[in-house]
Amino acid sequence: MKFGKRLKQQVQETLPDWRDKFLSYKELKKLVRLISSAPPFLNGSSEYGKSEAEFVRLLNSEIDKFNAFFMEQEEDFIIRHEALKQRIQKVIDTWGASASQPSEAEYKERMGKIRKDIVNLHGEMVLLENYSNINYTGLAKILKKYDKRTGGLLRLAFIQKVLEEPFFITDLVSKLVKQCENMIDSVFPAEEEEKENEGRETITVAGKGILRNAIAALMTMKEIRRGSSTYSHFSLPPLNLTESDLIPSFQLNSPISVAR
Amino acid sequence: MEARPAFSIQRSGAKQLGNLGVSGVLSSSLPLVPTPLEETCPKLPGSQQSSANTASLLMSQSSSPALLQSTTSSHYINENSASWCPEPLPGFLDFPTNTTIQNNQIESNSCAGVMASEEFGKRNDWQEWADQLITDDDALTTNWNELLADTSVADMEPKMAYQVPKPSSNIPVQHSQVHPQLPSPSAEIRPVLTPTSSANSAPTKSRMRWTPELHEAFVEAVNNLGGSERATPKGVLKLMKVEGLTIYHVKSHLQKYRTARYRPESSEGSSEKRLTSIDEISSLDLKTGIEITEALQLQMEVQKRLHEQLEIQRNLQLRIEEQGRHLQMMFEKQCKSGIDVVKAASSALENPSTLSSDAIQDAPAKTELETAQVDCGKTPTDTIFASPALEEGSQDLNRKHKVSQTETPENSEPYNTDSSLQPAKRSRADA
Repeated sequence: MKFGKRLKQQVQETLPDWRDKFLSYKELKKLVRLISSAPPFLNGSSEYGKSEAEFVRLLNSEIDKFNAFFMEQEEDFIIRHEALKQRIQKVIDTWGASASQPSEAEYKERMGKIRKDIVNLHGEMVLLENYSNINYTGLAKILKKYDKRTGGLLRLAFIQKVLEEPFFITDLVSKLVKQCENMIDSVFPAEEEEKENEGRETITVAGKGILRNAIAALMTMKEIRRGSSTYSHFSLPPLNLTESDLIPSFQLNSPISVAR
Repeated sequence: MEARPAFSIQRSGAKQLGNLGVSGVLSSSLPLVPTPLEETCPKLPGSQQSSANTASLLMSQSSSPALLQSTTSSHYINENSASWCPEPLPGFLDFPTNTTIQNNQIESNSCAGVMASEEFGKRNDWQEWADQLITDDDALTTNWNELLADTSVADMEPKMAYQVPKPSSNIPVQHSQVHPQLPSPSAEIRPVLTPTSSANSAPTKSRMRWTPELHEAFVEAVNNLGGSERATPKGVLKLMKVEGLTIYHVKSHLQKYRTARYRPESSEGSSEKRLTSIDEISSLDLKTGIEITEALQLQMEVQKRLHEQLEIQRNLQLRIEEQGRHLQMMFEKQCKSGIDVVKAASSALENPSTLSSDAIQDAPAKTELETAQVDCGKTPTDTIFASPALEEGSQDLNRKHKVSQTETPENSEPYNTDSSLQPAKRSRADA
């Protein structure tokens, strides 16, 4: 039950609007089970063809769902990104490069909001990438299952098609993410000193939110990629989150904590 | 409300209508209609012309009649106006009021209009009649124009019919009844996903994939038109001159744009309102701006990390599939000859979890043969992971995997037919 459970967890952690946009993994699995438990059909028999067609149809509709959602979000991100850029420009113009004139407090306030918005926009975009990836992973897994259970040869060709679907082509979002990261540098105060993070207390991340989702996503990714009994050459190697001094240990509300 | 029973009867009939989507009164006397209509409503042809003309503008966007089918939505508004000719249709119960030419899609209107004028002869009687009803309507044409210009027209996403400004008041608008009644025609229409450059003929269903460049052009057009409040979708569409862009795309984009710009104080986007990342970090003292900044930076770091990992993962996935495909092709070439040889050799190769370079070195040639199993493509090579470009600290992984490898290269037979390279514990279903 590993991937299915992980996916479910991820969906639970995700932003509320996104909950029903993920892969219906369980449903697909049921279908595969149904197909494989039916009396064995010879390849080429009409029954077999029918059930495969049904499976494919379901997959396609899932893909459509991903595409629609993904592109909608992408469009939003483009707009917000542009709007942010304009806001920053405006603030910079009004106050000059140094945060002194008219009202410093107001500058700070405006800048504060901008920073928060950039970080959140960045977060949402990354979460969208995660969305794309986890759905892709799910598709790959369910296809593998299908082939295994029914002896079909659906996976290879189908996955090739998936690779070209809009929701999987995340180049633009990735580019926007990097641009955000650049924007951040110009908007956040320069790091005066290296943060001393010795006593890295556990930070409890409460509530739902982008940060929480990002952490959950990382953890899920790690879990999914742990070695399994069906590990094969099509599997990804385990995720090795190299330790970075900047990320203290996080603890979500649940007892799961990310070991440093 | 005579129309109601009509709807329930209408279901199967409506399906046939396809692009007309006329869910009107169906009765056996329908076939009689077209003739009387033509004869007794001389003004029809005239108005038909005008609507056909205006309609043809939109028609040019359509590439084929089949696609007109796809503009059928299950939502039609009752449309009726003084220009209907109720007299010639005595055979119908409340025909004039139940014309049920409901149409909130401009394209459907226009398409139907064109069809009526151009393809009259091609339809079955029912459709001809319906065409006639749809097209011969001055008000219709006017409405259509108004709709185009009206920026406040409901956007395309929610498929709720809206009322055309000028219908007679006695026409009930049967949105809710229609909706559930005609799910199938529209549900079967697959949304058309179009790249930005291709021409698109199913405007309500298609999705435009926006890019920053396109958006920039959009912004420029909007600015030239006086700002986001004053700009109209039609104007923007005209200014942008982008092929394949429809007014629906522009309209919805404009809506989003306005929302994003006029709420800069509150967080951008609705979801953000519910989430403030800062609220999450409760153990930190958030009183000062510095701490907020720190919290933000922390969040940023996590996000960056996630992004990094996602990119890596995606690249790996791409490469894996690429290799699989490549091998599949290779295998298919070699498949003709020497399968037996391969089978014998492959039994010694079942080593699914091997990431170690040792194993790879041992069997560089064998990996090719490995793919010559019956279910080819599913036995990709170790070479994927032999690639030094593995960002995930391949050294580390190699070590780990050497340790964890359950080496059973002797697991011969079971693998010849099974697609996945699993060790004997195949029973454990993954997930």
